[in-house]
Amino acid sequence: MQKKKYIVALVLLSIFIAGCTGPSAWPSLSAGGGVAYLANTNAVHAVDIATGKELWKFSVSGGFLGSNPSMFVSTPVLTETGLLIVPDSGNKHILYALDTNDITDDKTPNVAWTFSNVKGHWVAPPLVIGSRLFAPNSDGKMYVLDLEDGKSEKSAIEIVALSAEGQTDRLWAQPVSDGTRIFITSLDHRIFAVNLETYEIEWESQLEAAVPGAPVLGADGMLYVGSLAGKLERFDPATGSHESVKDTNDWIWGTPVAEGDNLYFGDVAGYFYSYNTATGDWNFDPIQLDGAITASPLVLEDKILVATESGDVYSVLEDGSGYEVWYHPDAEGKLYATPVLSGENVLVAYLQSDYYFVTLDLDGDVKRAFPQK
Amino acid sequence: MKNPSNPSQQAQLPENPLELFKGSWKTVLVVAVLFVAFTNFDVIVDLMINIMIFIYGLVGKNFGLAIILFTVLIRVLTWPLNAQQMKGQQAMQELQNDKEWIAVQKKYAKDKEKLAQEQFRIQRERGINIFGSCLPMLVQFPILFALIPAINYAIGSGPLSILNLSRRLYDFQNAAALVPLNSKFLWMDMGLPERTEILGVGIPVLALIVALTTYLQSKLTMPASASPNDQSAQTSRIMSIQMPIMLFLFSLNYASGLSIYFITSNLLGIAQYAATGRANWRSLLPGGDKSTPAKK
Repeated sequence: MQKKKYIVALVLLSIFIAGCTGPSAWPSLSAGGGVAYLANTNAVHAVDIATGKELWKFSVSGGFLGSNPSMFVSTPVLTETGLLIVPDSGNKHILYALDTNDITDDKTPNVAWTFSNVKGHWVAPPLVIGSRLFAPNSDGKMYVLDLEDGKSEKSAIEIVALSAEGQTDRLWAQPVSDGTRIFITSLDHRIFAVNLETYEIEWESQLEAAVPGAPVLGADGMLYVGSLAGKLERFDPATGSHESVKDTNDWIWGTPVAEGDNLYFGDVAGYFYSYNTATGDWNFDPIQLDGAITASPLVLEDKILVATESGDVYSVLEDGSGYEVWYHPDAEGKLYATPVLSGENVLVAYLQSDYYFVTLDLDGDVKRAFPQK
Repeated sequence: MKNPSNPSQQAQLPENPLELFKGSWKTVLVVAVLFVAFTNFDVIVDLMINIMIFIYGLVGKNFGLAIILFTVLIRVLTWPLNAQQMKGQQAMQELQNDKEWIAVQKKYAKDKEKLAQEQFRIQRERGINIFGSCLPMLVQFPILFALIPAINYAIGSGPLSILNLSRRLYDFQNAAALVPLNSKFLWMDMGLPERTEILGVGIPVLALIVALTTYLQSKLTMPASASPNDQSAQTSRIMSIQMPIMLFLFSLNYASGLSIYFITSNLLGIAQYAATGRANWRSLLPGGDKSTPAKK
């Protein structure tokens, strides 16, 4: 009898401990039509920004002992027709298209279609161009799907081949397009340009380190990326010829944001940079904030908001003449995701916090938080 | 004042628990190591990550091999402690056939407290330090607790894992050039729990191998017992069931790199024990864990 008690107790303890495996990703936010879409670990939430109330929630059961959970880490992408594309980064490798116009009585959106004929995780947000969806997968391929039904437009574009060790180098960033090509970065230290019509790779370029962020097209027509080598790199989008234009203090994780001639971005040492693509120089000396910057800055009319891992959101004047803590959260929490602007609201998503995200006005005052207490 | 000639006083457990460690510098060392490990947990985790990644660079960026070699390294470093544990187990094994030990078990079968006191007295008289044999096993715990986050940080499949890894690598490691690490090994992604699709069902093959090798190791190193009431033998039997279940559940949910560690460690443990010629192969057979009672 005592022996059985021992075993039962141990099994329960083991299940408890085994269940303590935390998520290894941060939440992602997008917004459209007055609704915030939050990908947060095991679920996607749709929240009415005006009221803070949850409109619906989407989650998938996790299998035996919860050992195969869904993992929503990628920024949800809302299409013009109301489809919400949510990649599941869990082991099931499913890309969901949720119909936000068709919500069931139990407040779950109907699944318009799924696509799962892949071998890797979905981490990168897909890119919508017209009726096509360009969805990069960690298996090294970019899948071109018909938005209507999720069927393959053609066989997948092989961006990165399997390495000799069988490793697929991960495609983690959302592609960007200049209308004729689509550009995509990979964690195997490369950047690729794919012809938008023929799907052929036009050029590829090798960098010193991985690029977890997406490329950005500057006002000068050049393509810029920040790498984990701590360098801002510039590419000619037509030929792929490139040069390192600036060194930074540490890894550049987030995607730079282009606004006029300026590029704004941060590094994981907490420095915020403003680079002028016209002059090829910094607009002002880098500003060191209080935590790692993994998110892209959010450019507002009169200021730039910069989220740091510490949880603080800073506002920096465009000319770099001043900066201050714009929002300091009451609760503990880490901030990795890019803040989102929706009308007169700024949404900020937290990890390891009482709140999944907070809604702020343009002065940095809290309007409400989700989930509501 | 105690009178050593008085048997009833000799049988008492020591009032000062530290007396259990008396005369065993290795035991004191183990306690010190455990103390240092638990009070400097992050330092241990970082050290493990950096050693594994250093090995990873040496073996052609193969993290599976790196974990296996790391496990071998851990086994080599803890070899003296494991040897001490085996020595203790052997002494316990021999004790099972000791006439006095068997007589005491029969005599005090209904008085568990008295039985424990008498067993402790016999062990002390034979120079067997029960803590000396079980403390080396405790060294595995800080290693295990540190290894779980170490593997998750090193080959985790999420962005946060890579970010955290960059902060834990020593300066001499070129973090920017190293990441992301190659997490593929055989059919597995070592940053994730392993499942092998068989007829559309995800079977946790690695977790089952972990459970099997843990069970084999437990059974092979379990001392044969003469008495069904022998408490230490009962504990061993319980452990031989508990440990496989526990490690199976760990392996089911944690990164498969951890399972590689468990399997390698178990196989090395079996090999080390077999090398001493004391492996109890008969215990793998039904009813094989009972030995013939000693004759009076």
